[in-house]
Amino acid sequence: MSAAPAAIKKVAVVGSGVMGAAIAAHCANAGSQVVLLDIVPKGANDRSGLAKGAVEKMLKTKPAPFMHPAFARRITPGNLEDDLNLVGDCDWICEAIIENPDIKRDLYGKLEGVRKKGSVVSSNTSTIPLGELVKGLPESFAADFAITHFFNPPRYMRLLEVVGGAKTRPEAVAALRSYGDKALGKEVILCKDTPGFIGNRIGIYWSHVATVQAYDLGLTVEEADSIVGRPMGIPKTGIFGLGDLTGIDLGPHVIGSMLRLLPKSDPLVASFKADHPLNALTRKMIAEGYTGRKGKGGFYRNRGKEAIDLRTGEYRKKVRAEFESAKARGLKKLVEHPDKGGQYAWAVASRVLSYAADLVPEIAEDIRDVDTAMKTGYAWKWGPFEQLDMLGTGWFAEKLKAEGRPVPKMVQVAAGRPFYKEENDKTYRLMPSGDYAEIAVADDAWMLADRKRGKQPIAGNRSASLWDVGDGVACLEIHSKMNAIDADIVEIVKKAAKLDKQGYKALIIGNDADNFSVGANVGLALFAANTAMWPVIEQGISEGQAAYLGLKYAPFPVVAAPAGMALGGGCEICLHADAIQAHAESYMGLVEVGVGLLPGWGGCKELIVRTLANKKRPGGPMPAIAQVFEAISTAKVATSAAEARDMNILRETDGVTMNRRRLLADAKAKALSMVEGYKPPAPPEVQLPGPTAKAALDMAVEGFVASGKATPHDKVVSGEVAFVLSGGNTDITQTLTEKQLMTLEREGFMRLIRQGPTLDRIEQMLTTGKPLRN
Amino acid sequence: MEKNVVIAGYARSPFTLARKGALAKVRPDELAAQVIKGLLERTKVNPADIEDLIMGCAFPEGEQGLNVARIVSFLAGLPIETAGTTVNRFCGSSMQGIHQAAGAIQMGAGEAFICAGIESMTRVPMGGFNPAPHPGLYQRYPEAYVSMGITAENLAKKYSIDRATQQEMAVESHRKAAAAQAAGKFDAEIVAIVDGNNRVEKDGCIRPDTTQEGLNGLEPAFDKSGTVTAGTSSPLTDGASAVLVCSEAYADKHGLAKIARIRSIAVAGCPPELMGIGPVPATKKALERAGLKIADIDVIEINEAFAAQAGACLIESKIPKEKINLDGGAIALGHPMGATGARITGKAASLLKREGGKYALATQCIGGGQGIATVLEAI
Repeated sequence: MSAAPAAIKKVAVVGSGVMGAAIAAHCANAGSQVVLLDIVPKGANDRSGLAKGAVEKMLKTKPAPFMHPAFARRITPGNLEDDLNLVGDCDWICEAIIENPDIKRDLYGKLEGVRKKGSVVSSNTSTIPLGELVKGLPESFAADFAITHFFNPPRYMRLLEVVGGAKTRPEAVAALRSYGDKALGKEVILCKDTPGFIGNRIGIYWSHVATVQAYDLGLTVEEADSIVGRPMGIPKTGIFGLGDLTGIDLGPHVIGSMLRLLPKSDPLVASFKADHPLNALTRKMIAEGYTGRKGKGGFYRNRGKEAIDLRTGEYRKKVRAEFESAKARGLKKLVEHPDKGGQYAWAVASRVLSYAADLVPEIAEDIRDVDTAMKTGYAWKWGPFEQLDMLGTGWFAEKLKAEGRPVPKMVQVAAGRPFYKEENDKTYRLMPSGDYAEIAVADDAWMLADRKRGKQPIAGNRSASLWDVGDGVACLEIHSKMNAIDADIVEIVKKAAKLDKQGYKALIIGNDADNFSVGANVGLALFAANTAMWPVIEQGISEGQAAYLGLKYAPFPVVAAPAGMALGGGCEICLHADAIQAHAESYMGLVEVGVGLLPGWGGCKELIVRTLANKKRPGGPMPAIAQVFEAISTAKVATSAAEARDMNILRETDGVTMNRRRLLADAKAKALSMVEGYKPPAPPEVQLPGPTAKAALDMAVEGFVASGKATPHDKVVSGEVAFVLSGGNTDITQTLTEKQLMTLEREGFMRLIRQGPTLDRIEQMLTTGKPLRN
Repeated sequence: MEKNVVIAGYARSPFTLARKGALAKVRPDELAAQVIKGLLERTKVNPADIEDLIMGCAFPEGEQGLNVARIVSFLAGLPIETAGTTVNRFCGSSMQGIHQAAGAIQMGAGEAFICAGIESMTRVPMGGFNPAPHPGLYQRYPEAYVSMGITAENLAKKYSIDRATQQEMAVESHRKAAAAQAAGKFDAEIVAIVDGNNRVEKDGCIRPDTTQEGLNGLEPAFDKSGTVTAGTSSPLTDGASAVLVCSEAYADKHGLAKIARIRSIAVAGCPPELMGIGPVPATKKALERAGLKIADIDVIEINEAFAAQAGACLIESKIPKEKINLDGGAIALGHPMGATGARITGKAASLLKREGGKYALATQCIGGGQGIATVLEAI
């Protein structure tokens, strides 16, 4: 089979267990048609019941495997006895069945008879070496076979490890790599065929070390999680909390398979003690159903109010850990801290970082692959080599020597030098040879940091900056605390609208943060309201409106590139761009009512105009008004870009990028494609029904208040939203301009900000982060 | 001498839950057309004799708009010469159609009419797609637009009908409907609806396992401190119904199976915030016009928009509950608004024949504060 690999379009997944089904769902998210097959259960009425049931179950699963419920229809469920021929036109067949080499090979034999020439077959195995999987199968199969190892849940975890064997065609690996990257949005790491590949090899050791060291050093679970948590760049669950999340019953399986596969000299095997009291404890917990959050509880139970005593196995009230070291600034200060937390941090870091540094080049030639794998597969904030740079390789080596411990291979290679360095606007990483190699940045996949390196901004202040991202395109970066919109950002937005004067031909709006923007800085509004500075607030609204309109009518194309949360004022800036190129994991919405306000920077206006302009909407003005009213008055946030499209936040012509690393490049390409012959949009005009529409919405709200689904202040706030969306005191025969709608917004906003219950909402949001239901 | 008017045929589609039910994907005009075809086949009436198709619909827009009666006449294969009109009196729409046919027959303006009703509450929302209430009236007299659930709460309070009593009515409604379904008592009235490969022949709203305990678990649906829940309200429903109304002379001449004679009819207004009490004044008028007392009535179909509402009418009109809704009411069967009037009138006529009484009453309440009633006489 020498045919060049066609791009992967149609996918088959065999095995509809948790992983298989969720991989199928994510391929459907990527726009592929997917065949999902499983065995025929004994005595089943519906022979395809397993696959069908898996799809149905996923529609109820949270966090949702599907980005949109309608995507479930892209999956064709079937069974292996009647429907095996369905894989015949699939470009990629992903096997995710039980971890048993005989059963897998038997399946591969069957697939070989029906799959099309040039199709790629992969296994989602996490434990079985590739060589063993293709044993006894024809050369033609081995040439098209690889391992694709996803992390759970596949929609959300960004790592995809791909392993090709000695006989695997490079084109097959390339096809998987391309589909994984562009269609599925994964960080694809090509791994060697070694046990646990990269992520689990280091992750399982890390989890083992962090829990055993906690026990041996006499820390409580809360104390351990207060260190191997945020301070070490680990998600806030901490190490024991993570076990509860992933399932404690999983632990013995994964560690067991690693112990079988690794040589005795491996530190995991060498340090594992089957009779360690912690193993006895977890065995008892599993036996009694304490398997974590999915079971009766885990290391924590009763919604985190109780924690287990690692020595007695009894639950007790949770006690907040109070280590000084947890407050230390920086990893080095943490591991150097003399308290028990600091000692624990060093015990874990010294072992895990040494382990990782000894595994290059055994598991990967490139330290960057190791760092990327741990960051995207285990959600570490910093990879092991980045952590070693934070500590200093020289310092790390000296400290190990002083303790009489061996210095790991790559730390010896570094010989005091950093693993990463920046020179002449370029970044380099240290190779196992001891030489530095440049980290190349592709033109179609980059982060803003890659474009900012070594450059000064075109303009900037403490909250926002404008950057040159090449080819005459500028990028507006928001970088305030939580990317909240403030007056400084409005200043930069105003400057951005005049970038053509400086020779720029297009603008993108985006940043590298987890969240594009969480909305306007309401703390400033609260301060102004508490001191009755009404004109200041009103001016803030007017200036924001004017600045956003300035972007909309700038003489060059503007493309917003949201990722993560784009809420309130952050959503409104996107709504004023000519186009949106959204990351698939964008969570957009107008959430102002949560703090007792309404979207005042053109959000009400843009959403009603967009919804009325949607040709697919039902006739008459009310369906559009009712849809927008529901979205704004319930502070609805789309849980994906696909859902944002349902809400008319994204238009038909707006794009979605699956891979975060490609988002800004895609936005830039979209902006450049609009440059030629660009004309700013014509200002919209709408006809709205006025008071009759408001009466209809008021009636609906009245019902919600009576039935207890809305609060008294909800009624006030949604009344103002209703007034704006119905067009104020207009009549269906009259035409309303964009400016008139924005005046309605501003006036409504000003009436609300003067209300005590609104200020109470803002205050609670600022102090607790939770909305007040008053 | 005025002509006698008779009901000479009754048919309906299965009633199924809006959105979740088996008819959610069926267009309402198609639904009604299949029911009318079924009625024509069963009654053997000559379609060329049908003067008019009178179609009741509470929200006649979208797929049930554009004078849907005329559209349905084409779909059902009625002769081009048969006319079609759509009538709106909200929940009383198709009973109103029967009244109009009766009036026309007595005027000598036709011999045979199909009086049908239709509502897809899945495909056309309650309130319509573009509600546009009069803002001044809403301010001055919000009762004009009061939500139906609140009217039920108002009656529950006024007549001290507590939650347990309402739930008892709901349990009873489901029990009777489930028993009737199990005994095949709906088979003669239901026309199976065919939608592609999908054949729907059974009612879908009935919950035979309804109990007080189960209903206790529901939250109040309209007033958080109230007593009315989804379980003691009629569900949003898709369905269509039709009756053949003709002069008795015509029925006799063509050998049609007469079911009952229409003895008297009435409509009446009441305060909109107490709309559910509408059957009381309408029934009073209809009985007076028939020269009868409530005690003379053997079979009563009273629409159960809400248990509290129907319960209030029973108290006020002194109706013994043993006589009502023998095969279950709208809480169990469902209430596709425009279709209910023809259902309960056709049902009352059929029950009168089945149970062997002398008089029957069909009555229902109407949003906005009205009632409608029909008194039938055994033949």
